[in-house]
Parts: sequence; structure tokens; C-alpha cells
Amino acid sequence: MKSTGFFGGFGGVYVPETLMPALEELEEAFLQAKEDSVFLAKYNDLLHNYAGRPTPLYRAANLSQRWGANIWLKREDLLHGGAHKTNNALGQALLARAMGKTRLIAETGAGQHGVAAAMSGALLGIKTEVYMGEVDMLRQQPNVLRMRLLGAEVHPVTTGGRTLKEAINEALRDWVSSVRTTHYMLGTAAGPHPFPAMVKFFQQIIGCEAREQFSQRCACLPDYVLACIGGGSNAVGIFSGFFNDPQVKLIGVEPAGKGLETEHHGAVLQKGSPGCLHGMKSLLLQDGDGQVLETYSIAAGLDYPSVGPEHAYLQSTGQASYVAATDSEAIGAYVELSRSEGIIPALESAHALAYAKRLSSCAGHGKHILINLSGRGDKDLQQVIDNVQPL
Amino acid sequence: MSNRYSNRFAQLEKQGRKAFIPFTMLGWPNRKSCLATVATMIDSGVSALELGMAFSDPVADGPVIQRAASETIASGFTVADAFDLLKEIRSIDQDIPIGLLVYYNMVLRYGITDFFTQAHNCGVDGILIADLPPEAASETYPAARAAAVESIFIVSPLTLPDRLDTIAKYAGGFLYAVSRLGTTGVEERYDRELEALISRVKATSTLPVCVGFGISTAKQAQQMFALGADGAITGSKIVDLVRNTPEHLLTTCLQEYLTTMVRCTYMTSPAAQA
Repeated sequence: MKSTGFFGGFGGVYVPETLMPALEELEEAFLQAKEDSVFLAKYNDLLHNYAGRPTPLYRAANLSQRWGANIWLKREDLLHGGAHKTNNALGQALLARAMGKTRLIAETGAGQHGVAAAMSGALLGIKTEVYMGEVDMLRQQPNVLRMRLLGAEVHPVTTGGRTLKEAINEALRDWVSSVRTTHYMLGTAAGPHPFPAMVKFFQQIIGCEAREQFSQRCACLPDYVLACIGGGSNAVGIFSGFFNDPQVKLIGVEPAGKGLETEHHGAVLQKGSPGCLHGMKSLLLQDGDGQVLETYSIAAGLDYPSVGPEHAYLQSTGQASYVAATDSEAIGAYVELSRSEGIIPALESAHALAYAKRLSSCAGHGKHILINLSGRGDKDLQQVIDNVQPL
Repeated sequence: MSNRYSNRFAQLEKQGRKAFIPFTMLGWPNRKSCLATVATMIDSGVSALELGMAFSDPVADGPVIQRAASETIASGFTVADAFDLLKEIRSIDQDIPIGLLVYYNMVLRYGITDFFTQAHNCGVDGILIADLPPEAASETYPAARAAAVESIFIVSPLTLPDRLDTIAKYAGGFLYAVSRLGTTGVEERYDRELEALISRVKATSTLPVCVGFGISTAKQAQQMFALGADGAITGSKIVDLVRNTPEHLLTTCLQEYLTTMVRCTYMTSPAAQA
């Protein structure tokens, strides 16, 4: 490969030999595409005319009044498909076509990446199959139906905890068998090189737009930029717009589930240790023998025992910091944003909102907090109603 | 380096034979039964052993070995238990080459140097890390050399000459050629590029080439020998046998299967078997 894809001591390429030629081919195609004006024009055209970019930057006046700080929302929930995942899926689908692949496979947790993969497959006429844990299929039923409507085949994954980790395992196993004809469209900025770099490339539009929109509106930069962290693609997307602005504090919000003091969380950056899973070195929730632990979060998209390697690196250098919000805080924010602004956020994004609320009370009046509202929350409605209270 | 692999392959060559290498999971279905299975393998005259350490996320394995791995972990069988069992297996036979199959996270967690040293102390001759490509081999190679443990690598039908050169720099013991793209598991077909792969490997390296993934019958093993392979590796078939055979019949049944496989290594043309 041209590069080994390390971010400090994190990242790399740790996959069975059979996959190596495919990753070499993908790296080559990606390096070419990102310099290819024809490819980029096609990609940007799809982002603009098909997916609806740029997405708005919205000042949540009602929430700002309630919470004290100035709350700004980058509205990735308004992107076609309902989440930031479309940015990456369109890019990778175009790459797959350029490589002559005739089949797409994808993993999905909350179903948003699965939907984005299915949309891209439908658009470009490439057969698409999605691996999804059985537990996630149950809790994100609307997205399963959307994928099927879009023509994708959804394979239930029944091993282990039956969530995102196992879905990635199964997608990798499929890819080992089908690598001649199939592109594995990984949904987050994790996995073996070149995925973390490539997914970041396709998601950095979020931070790029947000920085420009914010500085035009306020003639300054935000004090804080917040995003939820599962694998970390929406976060690396918005953070990357502010990497050269050291005065902007970048904060990733992990799922604290039922509490960091319990075993039921997915706070990898705060509770994990260095390890190797799914083709990358990163932080990992694991036991003393290196067996990977089951994680827990009410948000299927955050329920993952590792994290994109760049976040492990950003934490180690102090360029970004990582905190956590619990299930109940996230549900509180889900309801509060719905009622105060008329916007229903994804439960994943609600974790970032929940921390913004906490931060507002200590950051003080007049501070600007920019939150990546990475997805919309229609998919979570049944789960919120079942788990909390009748609305 | 331990000489067990080179001694064994030299001996086989002298006898005009090929190698048969069975696999099972350390500690599965339990310590005692695993030890009995391995003892039966040794008694049946197999050429070498491949023994796996159970990992929670074995992405190179198909359903049969995945299930054995998750049952082993659930039973509480640890890495320390696995090393302990390896030591006992080594005490049964001083000469048989023992290969250990692991995933990288377990090695990292244990500490690379400590893992290789401990493996050597327990009588292991070679370690194959399923998710460690040659690009990352420099991370483990010094520890492997220092502990006199061979680094065993996989080559696939998609592995082209430039990659083979890199692999050959680190590889020892034998090269593990996968018969097809995919995960472990019993299957009939093998890849159309397999023969070309074996020729490429032979042109690059003097190491013996053993073919695994999907090999379960003497006929398949002989097909591999006919394509130029020096040995055949069988895993999922054995795990299947252990799972599905009533306990009182298991030793006999395993013996019968293993003996058939060992016998076919003497008859290296497919016609001889028919």
C-alpha cells in the first residue's frame, strides 16, 4: 500500500491476507479519485442536486434561551436519507463503480448507513446487501423497511450481541469471499486503511460548510464543536473543519448507556484500552485476555466497542476531548429538542445535545456551541415511546 | 528456530509423502475432550498440529469454528488455560510440529514478546496470526525470532508475486495457502487460481505449501497434492465430527477419519485413491 494509514499509534491495516489486494486496489482508486476533477464534479453534483447540500446551519433560539449558551445546529438531519451517512455512501458508491464492482455490501447499526447504501445502490444500479444485527433490526424497524423498499437485501446477523460489531464481522466475512466483484462500503471512519482516511474525506464537507456558515453569520468561530461518537464519522467530519483553529474546543460525546460506573455503556475513549479489531488498532472495550466486550447504548448507531483510530489519536494529543451522556440524558434531549424547536433528532445525535445542555450551564452566557445534528429521529420514535413514557 | 517443521517436512519428503495437518480449538468442547482429540490425532500419525485460541471476533472463520470459539470463551477457558494445555500436548509428543492460530488482539493484550516467549515455553513451533498481514509483520517478527518461533503466513489466490516476496521475507515453517476466497468451513469447490498460486509460491519460496480452508476428504487432499501442495489442513470437518459424534464413539470415529486422511498422504496421485 502507498501508506499504512496510521494516526500516531492508531489505525493501520490488520486484515486477513485475502483482503489485502482489495484494500490496495481501494486505496489506489481513492487516491486517484480525490485528485480527479471529473470524479469530484460528479460527486459534488450528487451532493448538491440529489442529497440537498449544503445543509443549513440553524441557530436554535428557543433552546439557547432555555440553556443559556448560543446553540447552533448543523442540520445533517436534513440531508437526503436523514443523516450524514449519505455523504460517504455516495462517494464510495461512485468509487465502487469506478473500480468496476458489481455488488455493494454494508454493515449498519441504526440503519442510517444501510439506508444510505441502499439509496446509493438504487441510484447507481448496483446490487446492495446490508448486514444488520437482529437486535438493531428490531429497534430500528423503520430503517429496515426503507432499505427493503430501496431494493437492498437485509441480512439479519444472529451471532454474539447481534448489534453493530457482529454486523461488521459478517460484512468482513462476506467480503473475504466476494472480494473480486464486491465493494465493502464501510459506514464509519474506522476499519482498516484506507477506510478511516476515505470516510473522513467524504465527511469533511460537514465541517467545511459549518465553519464557513458560522463565520459568515457571526464573524467569529464557535467556542465549542460537539458531535456524538459511535465509530466517529460525523464527529471527524465536523471536527476536521476546525483542526486549524486551536481556540475551538472539539468535544466528542460517547454513549454512557446506563452509566459509566456500570458495564452497560459504549464509552470506548474513556474506558477502553489499546487493541486491534476490525482491521485497525484503536481503543477497545476488552477483557484481560483481549476478548472484545459487549457494549450497550439505547442508540444503535453508538453501540460499538471500538472507535475510529483518528479519535483515539485526537484524544491522545489533546486536540479533542471526549465525554459521555447516558440513555436518559439522550432521551431527555430528544424530547426537549422536539418540543422546543420542532426538530426530532436521532437518538445518536441527542447524546451530543444532552452534553450541550450540561455544557451550557457551566460554559456561561454568550458562548457559542455548535452541534452536529447528525441525523433525524423518526426512526427512534417507537423505541422512545416504548422505553420511556407515553407521549 | 525450532527445527520441528523442517525436520518433519524433510522426513516426509524422504518417504515420498505429503503432510496432513488437522486443526482443533484449544479447550473445546472442554479441556479433557480437547486433549483426547489431540492425542487421537497424534496416535493416528498426523504430520503436524494446528491449534486455535478462541477469539470473540474471528473474522477469518466460518460458522463452525466461530461457534466453537464462542462456546470456549463462554466456558471460562482463558489464554492461560490454553498455554497450559499446549504444554501438556507437547509432553505427549516431543517431535510433532505445533502451530498456533490466533488473532492479533490476543497477542497485543498479552504483550507481543511475552506471548511469543510463553508460546515457545509451551512447545509451540509456529504462530499464524490470522489478521496480521506482512505489512505489519515487523511488529511481531523480532519477538518471534527471539523466541525461536516460526511466523506462519497465509497466501491466497489473490496474492500476487510482489506480495509473495514480502511474505517470503518473514515466513517460516510452511506457507498456509487458502484453497479459495472466504472463511474457514467445509466446502467442495476450490479457487480457479489455486494452481497458479501454488506455482507462484513454489517459484518464490523453498518453504512447503500446505492448503487449507474447505478440505475435508482424502479426495480433496489428493486434489491439492496433485496441484503441487505439500500438505493439506483440515479444521471445520474435525470440529463438526467432535460436535456431532456421540461421546462413546468419538475416539473410534476420529481415528477412522484421521487414519484415512493420513493414509492418503502416501498415495499422492488421485488415481491411487480410486
